[in-house]
Amino acid sequence: MSDDTTTPETTTATAVSAVDAAGDDPPATMDSLSKSQLAIQSLSSILPSIPPTLFSSPNPPHSLLHDPDVSAEISSLLRHHSSGTGDNNLCRWLYDAFQSGDPGLQLVVLRFIPVITGTYLSRATLRRPLAGFEAILLALYAHETSSRAGQPVTVNVPDLSHPSLYHESTTPGKYNATSLNLAVVSPSLEPHGTVRSTRRAWIVGVALELYYNKISEMPASSKIEFCEFCGVWAGDHHDQDDDEPDGPSGLGVGNGGESGPSQLGERRSIPLPWELLQPILRILGHCVVSCARNKEVYDAAKAACRSLHGRAMHDINPKAILATESLLRLRNMNSKPNDNADDDNDNDNDNQQLDSSTDDHDEISISSANTLD
Amino acid sequence: MDSGEYEQEDMDSREVCANGVCMKTTAVEAKLDEGNIQEAESSLREGLSLNFEEARALLGKLEYQRGNVEGALRVFDGIDLQAAIQRLQPSLVEKPPSKKGRPRSESQHAVSQHAASLVLEAIYLKAKSLHKLGRLTEAAQECKSVLDAVEKIFHQGIPDVEVDNKLQEIVSQSVELLPELCKQAGCHQEAISAYRRALLSHWNLENDCCTRIQKAFAVFLLYSGVEAGPPSLGVQIDSSYAPKNNLEEAILLLMILMKKFCLGKTKWDPSVMEHLTFALSVCNQTSVLAKQVEEIVPGVYHRVDRWNSLALCYSGAGQHKAALNLLRKSLHKHERPDDLMALLLAAKICSEDSYLAAEGVGYAQRAISIAQQQAEHLKGVGRHMLGLCLGKQAKVCSSDFERSRIQSEALKSLDGAIALDSNSPDLIFDLAVQYAEHRNLNAAMRYAKQFIDETGGSVLKGWRLLALILSAQQRFSEAEVVTDAALDETAKWDQGPLLRLKAKLKISQSLPMDAIETYRYLLALVQAQRKSFGPFRVVPQIEDDKVNEIEVWHGLANLYSSLSHWKDAEICIMFEGRGETQEALGAYVGALLVDPNYVPCKILIGSLMSKMGSEALPVARGLLSDALRVDPTNRKAWYYLGMVHKDDGRIADATDCFQAASMLEESDPIESFSSVC
Repeated sequence: MSDDTTTPETTTATAVSAVDAAGDDPPATMDSLSKSQLAIQSLSSILPSIPPTLFSSPNPPHSLLHDPDVSAEISSLLRHHSSGTGDNNLCRWLYDAFQSGDPGLQLVVLRFIPVITGTYLSRATLRRPLAGFEAILLALYAHETSSRAGQPVTVNVPDLSHPSLYHESTTPGKYNATSLNLAVVSPSLEPHGTVRSTRRAWIVGVALELYYNKISEMPASSKIEFCEFCGVWAGDHHDQDDDEPDGPSGLGVGNGGESGPSQLGERRSIPLPWELLQPILRILGHCVVSCARNKEVYDAAKAACRSLHGRAMHDINPKAILATESLLRLRNMNSKPNDNADDDNDNDNDNQQLDSSTDDHDEISISSANTLD
Repeated sequence: MDSGEYEQEDMDSREVCANGVCMKTTAVEAKLDEGNIQEAESSLREGLSLNFEEARALLGKLEYQRGNVEGALRVFDGIDLQAAIQRLQPSLVEKPPSKKGRPRSESQHAVSQHAASLVLEAIYLKAKSLHKLGRLTEAAQECKSVLDAVEKIFHQGIPDVEVDNKLQEIVSQSVELLPELCKQAGCHQEAISAYRRALLSHWNLENDCCTRIQKAFAVFLLYSGVEAGPPSLGVQIDSSYAPKNNLEEAILLLMILMKKFCLGKTKWDPSVMEHLTFALSVCNQTSVLAKQVEEIVPGVYHRVDRWNSLALCYSGAGQHKAALNLLRKSLHKHERPDDLMALLLAAKICSEDSYLAAEGVGYAQRAISIAQQQAEHLKGVGRHMLGLCLGKQAKVCSSDFERSRIQSEALKSLDGAIALDSNSPDLIFDLAVQYAEHRNLNAAMRYAKQFIDETGGSVLKGWRLLALILSAQQRFSEAEVVTDAALDETAKWDQGPLLRLKAKLKISQSLPMDAIETYRYLLALVQAQRKSFGPFRVVPQIEDDKVNEIEVWHGLANLYSSLSHWKDAEICIMFEGRGETQEALGAYVGALLVDPNYVPCKILIGSLMSKMGSEALPVARGLLSDALRVDPTNRKAWYYLGMVHKDDGRIADATDCFQAASMLEESDPIESFSSVC
């Protein structure tokens, strides 16, 4: 379990207040309880192995979200080579669960966003029917479009010569918005009824933004899946320490169906335009910095960072190089005082190589960065 | 004031002091060990003349120091701390901070402060004990009650002069501890308000403590994924900047921290810069980041690291010239000439400008040889950049021989790259364009198709390139099928360039009425776009290729005029054509001044001049030859050059030119290949 999971009460309380856009009354616990029990029942027709405790749970979506076995099973079904089609039951269930408007169920759907987007993007170039995945992604996109009223997310980069909430300025002048640098973090959203290929990255990017907004409520296994897919998307540009040759299926139960060629095809790198890369980087930032105490997530995030940094170098993409380098440096700074037994060996070796050669291309030379002239 | 100190720690035996009396704790501790809290308490009360709460508070502290957290908690639980706080309040409210020179009231105040700090410390230690026992929510509550109590006792914030050191220390520690406790307890919203309370209320925190809280809050905002929402209106001041989302607030705090460092108010913390770099690059503001890097005092970063970071910032913000200048410094032979990232970035920047291409070739070659030793997988990237630079360089070659030599080298280098990175979309696309420009249309077609496969059709320029290649092969109907497929995959607002292409394809297929229909649709789109064009729309994939309204009118006009619908044509263009040669020429020359290498303009001027009589012919010839040097496959340039030769009476030359023009026409795309890149 991740370090930031909480007691059931607090999680649902915040989830209800935060997600609710469908207009359910907060006290309608009976209603949402029956709704979610209904959802669990229909899930059990897809997954026969659902433990009976889920039915009797006081908060079924929460128990579902944190049940490692069921999650692993759903993940592996989603990875299955025949998944994602329009008539796929599981995709339908996920779509209905999200459309139900129940915040708990929506969190369950978001929990599988890494597997859904990962599998979808890897297959999108293979001309396979993926209407099931697309329906889920479009539902998320529509949800975000309506909750943001299509408005963009912008950032006014502050100018410190004007006073702010947290500081006083030596040259007090009235602050006016025009003097600020306006950055568009996420542009305004137009409704999309289908996934057109030139908008695919964009729609998936919005789904990832949604995932990021709820990431503090996601279980560790979901974050690990995400990090593993980062490596796949980036293409394994860091070839040195690929300790898991079987890649993203590491978590999946892997019960049959994974034929060789499709596996190969799905491990290819994908184009990473900024609308996709930006939410990926933000999620990864969370995994590197905020999950430092969960070793599994942390290690997966570390590997993902290296892959993406390698990819950024490969694409000579300055913004991505800057962001991934910072994450790698932060990771090194964090891991130093902690003295994690096996981590340290890696890092020391890496750091020694740094000055003489950049053999390990994706290790950043913080040692040289910190030394004075 | 002597009563202020009440605690000293020794190596082996502890001592507690209060009200000017000190006593050893050995006896008290012995009683505690026997589990006899009451006796321990009474011996403290007697020994130090304390009241019940104070004695208990001291006792709890003693237990805490001895590491007996549970014992401490038992002792603290026995005190009604709220009641103690209640009792403290009036005595202090009655005597607001008094002026100096009134010793009686001041010492009174000090005693009360002492009592207050005893009680507050007890609550603080209770919170710490709960924290150690893992009871985080309760710990957070206790810690919060310390701050609530302080606010109750000191209405006007903490007076900085008169406050007791010990008290200040407890307050600072509690302020810092509370958000951490909330965070660990998973109460994210509470953590956010605790952070804001810490930073916005007057706690009289010392600088280091404030810095730590600011950094911790920025990190929380930046990475937790919990949306904080804007600060309450109550704390906002009219004229000052108030952040409205997590990123803004985090960036503001990090920038304040950087400023503090630059002013020498805090110690340098490298992680602050890394967090800021991450935040600003994620929201596309690397130009702001560049400013931040520039403001860092020299000596923190090695100058080469600094130049390289700045180059990345500028390049990320599209200021390529500035980036290249910095890279030139850092790649100087006395600095760090073998830095692979710098070499590749420099080569990439150079590959976008024909006049820098030769310089870029040098960088790319060095990158390849270094990648060979250090990072095999970047060798392909080096070759890719080399190919691009050579391709650009070939365009400004003075001799044909040199040009064809460099061109074939460029292709060789790109082929070498594709052997190493067989599915890099950018590389595949560049190869397709290179081949298309050399009119090796079959190879170009193969790569263009592969590009669409690799990207799953998600990149508009791939579709356009394929359609253009087909049009160059005179396979217009197939080109139209590709264009229609592309239109299907494109959202309405991005369809402009494709519609223009489609209209031209219709014309090529001698379907003028269909073309007019397409142009009309395009015109409606362009006009609608102009009206609803907000600044925050999704940026179209091909930014510089937005369809210009005038251009559409122009296209329509040409079409009508070719159909002899002169009336319509006149309506379309009132300002162009028909005898207004001088004005047109002026406009074209203006355009040429902006971009001296803009081939279409050169050709247009050349063609206009060629019609202006024999004295203008040499100028026209010069311009057209110049245009051909940049774009040797330009059919129109050859044609007009032929006209010039003809008018000058050089019939043989003219024949050659016309022949070239007609040969090229057979493999001419309906829009230039380079328009796709």
